[in-house]
Amino acid sequence: MRKNSKAHQERSVGSTVRVLLLITLLLVVGLLLLAAMLGGKFGPLHQLTLDFIGPLQSVVTRTATGVVNLKNDYVALLDVRDENKKLQAQIDRYLNELGEYREGYSTYRHLQELLEMKEKLTFKPIAARVVGKEPSYWYQTIVVDRGRNDDILEGMIALAPGGVVGQVLHTAENYSKILLANAPSSAIDAMVQKSRIRGILKGAGEKGYVLQYVLKTADVEVGDHIVTAGIGGIFPAGIPLGRISKIEKKQRGMFQEIEVEPSIDFQKLEYVLLDPTDRKSMLDSLNMSPKR
Amino acid sequence: MAIPVIVFWAIGVALIVVQTTLLEHLPVWLARPDLLYVLVAFLAYRFAWIPGIAVVFSLTWMVDVVAGIYMGLYPLACLLAFTALKTMSTKSLLKESTYQIPLVGLSFFLTQIFLYFVSSLLLPDILPEWSWPGSMQRTILVVLSAIPLFVLFNRLNEYLLKRRLRGKAPRRRPPRPL
Repeated sequence: MRKNSKAHQERSVGSTVRVLLLITLLLVVGLLLLAAMLGGKFGPLHQLTLDFIGPLQSVVTRTATGVVNLKNDYVALLDVRDENKKLQAQIDRYLNELGEYREGYSTYRHLQELLEMKEKLTFKPIAARVVGKEPSYWYQTIVVDRGRNDDILEGMIALAPGGVVGQVLHTAENYSKILLANAPSSAIDAMVQKSRIRGILKGAGEKGYVLQYVLKTADVEVGDHIVTAGIGGIFPAGIPLGRISKIEKKQRGMFQEIEVEPSIDFQKLEYVLLDPTDRKSMLDSLNMSPKR
Repeated sequence: MAIPVIVFWAIGVALIVVQTTLLEHLPVWLARPDLLYVLVAFLAYRFAWIPGIAVVFSLTWMVDVVAGIYMGLYPLACLLAFTALKTMSTKSLLKESTYQIPLVGLSFFLTQIFLYFVSSLLLPDILPEWSWPGSMQRTILVVLSAIPLFVLFNRLNEYLLKRRLRGKAPRRRPPRPL
């Protein structure tokens, strides 16, 4: 019984405290609201609240801005990557086109040179495209797309804008094989253009030519031009062959060893001009056929 | 009761910060849900009078300081809403959770009307024109955001209450030796 009354007392005290607390709270709230609404001033409590919320807002805003910036940067980076890919593709395409244009220009220049040469020649040459090359040291031959159907015969000479290319070695219906002038088995009567000193120009493969049988006393210098001498009847006189690149005078022997750099690059031959004059037959009929 | 009060007060502060910073970046046509109002309604359903009023007043006071033009108006409106919802929930009219969310929407809509009415008396010059579609849109947003927020708040409240009860569990006395 005593316990019950004690509990009852405790409960009533608790509820009284609660009611008092509520009234106090309502009073405080009411006063604050009245002060805020009627006073209309931004008082110290307001300032304190703003100082409390402000830093929190600042942190969140900065973080959000950072995240947004990061996202924007990432998106921009993606755009840059896409753009880069597109530009790279464009560059590839343009480089491809540029290559084609360069090739076209190069072909044009080459054909122009051929045309100029053709106009200078006394005979009417036949232009032939190089379709195959045999670059080994012992053979040094090329195949061109002109043959017997084009009246090409063995022994005819092949020229390029730079000078002598070689001589037709074999012919088929539509193709011919040309022995290049720098082949070891090739020998051409040549002379030094400046001093008119003659010799035999032997093929030396990749080294070009060797001019043989030039006396030690002969006036030759590095850089002198070597042209065909026109003696054997095969090549007309004065066609460029190359330039002297090295002269060696040994103690023994009466001749100089002269290396000649070809005037044309045999590796880059694309077109050649064939002289349709059948010099070989003419020489045969005169019984003057030279030994190759 | 102290820990739930502190926790929900902290959540309220976080909601104010989010509402005044991140949600500001939402497009205007979408409007911004008043997340704090959802918390006010939740506190009305779950908290007792004294802690409820204390938390609601302090939080709405902050909103007022951060974003209010006429000081005291927003806390007053929220306190009135809190009182109305609390009264209804204690009178057992709306204990059913089915009615709680729609009532949040209804009370928010009425709060908007109240705020506009009082503002039209106090600040007639700077008040924009009343927009029914805009008010409806804001109300719908509050209702939509109340659904997940109520679920979260309820779970958190239950967790905090269970922790408190576990802490208060009476220790068993050791049996007296015979």
